[in-house]
Amino acid sequence: MAIDLDDWTGEDTTVVEIERRLSRLRTPSSLDEGPDLRTSVLTHIAWVPPEWEKAALDTLDGLAERHPSRVILLLPDADARDDALDAQVSLRCFPAGHGRHVCSELIELRLHGTRAVAPASIVAPLLIADLPVFLRWRGVPPFGDDGFEGLIDLVDRLVVDSAEWADLDAGYRALGDIVDRVAVSDIAWGRGLPWRLRLADMWPGIAHARALSVRGPDADARLLAGWLRSRLATGIELEHERAELLEAVSADGEQVQPPPGEPPSPSDLLSDELDRFGRDRIYEAALAAA
Amino acid sequence: MATTERQQQEQENPLLEGLRLKRTPEPCVLVIFGASGDLTRRKLLPALYSLAFRRLLPEQFAVLGVARTESSDDEFREQMKEAVQKHGRDEFRDEVWESLAEGMRYIAIDFADEAGEDRVSRCLAKLDEERGTRGNRVYYFAVPPSAFETLVQEIAERRGREGWSRLIVEKPFGHDLASARHLNGVLTEHFTENEVFRIDHYLGKETVQNMLALRFANGIFEPIWNRQFIDHVEITVAESIGIEGRAAFYEEQGAIRDIFQNHLLQLVALTAMEPPIDFTAESVRNEKVKVLRSMHTPGPKHVVRGQYGRGFVEGIEVPGYREEEGVDAESTTETFVAAKLFVDNWRWADTPFYVRAGKRLARRETTIAIQFQRAPHPPFDELASDGLRPNVLLVHIQPNEGVALEIGAKVPGQGMAIRSVHMDFLYGGAFRTGLPEAYERLILDAMLGDATLFTRTDEVEEQWALVDAIVAAWSRDRPTFPNYAAGTWGPSAADDLLSRDGRAWRRH
Repeated sequence: MAIDLDDWTGEDTTVVEIERRLSRLRTPSSLDEGPDLRTSVLTHIAWVPPEWEKAALDTLDGLAERHPSRVILLLPDADARDDALDAQVSLRCFPAGHGRHVCSELIELRLHGTRAVAPASIVAPLLIADLPVFLRWRGVPPFGDDGFEGLIDLVDRLVVDSAEWADLDAGYRALGDIVDRVAVSDIAWGRGLPWRLRLADMWPGIAHARALSVRGPDADARLLAGWLRSRLATGIELEHERAELLEAVSADGEQVQPPPGEPPSPSDLLSDELDRFGRDRIYEAALAAA
Repeated sequence: MATTERQQQEQENPLLEGLRLKRTPEPCVLVIFGASGDLTRRKLLPALYSLAFRRLLPEQFAVLGVARTESSDDEFREQMKEAVQKHGRDEFRDEVWESLAEGMRYIAIDFADEAGEDRVSRCLAKLDEERGTRGNRVYYFAVPPSAFETLVQEIAERRGREGWSRLIVEKPFGHDLASARHLNGVLTEHFTENEVFRIDHYLGKETVQNMLALRFANGIFEPIWNRQFIDHVEITVAESIGIEGRAAFYEEQGAIRDIFQNHLLQLVALTAMEPPIDFTAESVRNEKVKVLRSMHTPGPKHVVRGQYGRGFVEGIEVPGYREEEGVDAESTTETFVAAKLFVDNWRWADTPFYVRAGKRLARRETTIAIQFQRAPHPPFDELASDGLRPNVLLVHIQPNEGVALEIGAKVPGQGMAIRSVHMDFLYGGAFRTGLPEAYERLILDAMLGDATLFTRTDEVEEQWALVDAIVAAWSRDRPTFPNYAAGTWGPSAADDLLSRDGRAWRRH
């Protein structure tokens, strides 16, 4: 179980003050069981508009200690009357055995008014040097917007979930345009992995498939179809029935046996993406054909 | 460059490319001989449950337990369920257990009984039909060596035309070079080398494999990993426990056969080996064998044996070895062995490898300590660098799995005072997924046919050749035992082994 230590909250604060508080957290903690280790393998930035706040916090909780990291939660409030940066800095510690704890830093930044305009300038001083930087963008990214583009230039990997988007055509086009600048992960693509494995098992029968039928979210269905089109280099008709979860898939009328077990949780899916570093060319081809 | 099996599959099936496939074996039955034993309960079934928990077992899978003890399928499942609940590392989930238990069967036979083996064959054929296991078999020999030969022959005689067969063989693999060669002969008469998986569970430990990552994935270590920069290497495999009721076994084995011949020499080989050209079984094992062949037999002055007497471990008084139940009151079996070894090759000539292993030592600890040469001329006055020791790279195999680098650092304050400090990488601190048990990795690898972490015929024989040479010298005199108290770091002669060279074992 996590123990939150040394919470510090600052209203209308500065990045310099946040850095100072972070350094203070690195001094020995008040846990008496043993020394703490501040191990980090990445910096994890999450852009979380208000409507996504609860889902984002639940996912973070589910991640627990799986990726010891510095998490920077950016909570924009562009419509606020005042321009201000509020911060909460805390240390989350998890037992690591032998009386030690592994601790990660959680920085929650509320970006009021114009402070939400150039988030990269706030985040840049807070990145851990030399470690990979992941950006999980909740909702539709404002492709082309300076604030978003600035963040993209800062990070190694952008993680989205296109199932959160209303206009997939525009979103996929824009996403396809940035894959040469930053590695991209789509959680909708990750969710389809067990089904792709099932479809791969249907080789060679599936080699000449003409139609794919999917009951599930739009994004998941389109990416599955895009994947088959790009891998088989053939036209595949997508027949789609909307559902909350990926429930059923068939190819040319042949039902695909559902993958065993429960589908992975949002935290599991994000966790998988935080383990990836390079470009995913197969995904990029599927995206282009989706 | 050789095309891998995976690349070939991808060329045939373009849908496989880029899929982040977990390594899942082909359908198979795992046959455990000795299924009523401690190893099955404590290690094998918990490992299988963990593999099932992570969905790493094939969907068409079955376990057939075979042992002498009478038991029904249901009783066996119940015993194994309790074992998993008691010894498993993962949360117990009914649905995971049920998926494993429904393919679980048990047969009670005498291993030398032909009719019993026929029953095993019939049960396997039935499992193939019921579970779709396609004639693929992994036979796990968790049995005493005396049962080994008969079992191998009976399995070979009943080998079907369909599917593959693999044998996992537990240690001890022989008790000397001659017996190891005999066992290898029995195996190779019926099975090829790539069907035989000789287990040394140390090689399944994440931290042992991390030694390869540390050396060959980091550019900073390999250039200094040689006699020019390394003063010496210390390897310790220390146990604080005694013989835990295994007197008959231990009286035969002693520390040299129980630990030195296998675990310790494997650690030496991994530390000293040259970079393999790739991470295939043959490349890795070729390099390890070269190290074993390069080691010359240590002279009598370079080997120390010991036996524990009465003493205190963790504040509790414990009996001496000769007082343990089942041990001869005049026993000369060693419970401790230390040696100064040399790997006679270009990289390591004249660099001593001090190794030690023992029971009832001060604490449980397995470490590899690489001690580098001292800084040639520290520009500080003598007092300032009083607390400065040579750099040591410390690989903790167990417990506290991780790596530490001991470096000199300035003590904050006025003037220049230097002290040695540790930079720690705690394995569980950076990777929070929990370290898999060695048996999980090894059983899965055997199912996948990957022998990289198993010991090859020539490796085993080289290990025994070295042990035979040491033991031959021991037979010429009678040791004065006991010569160390339980709860200490072994006999004083082990300290002398290093102090004669102006060195000392690492402080713990």
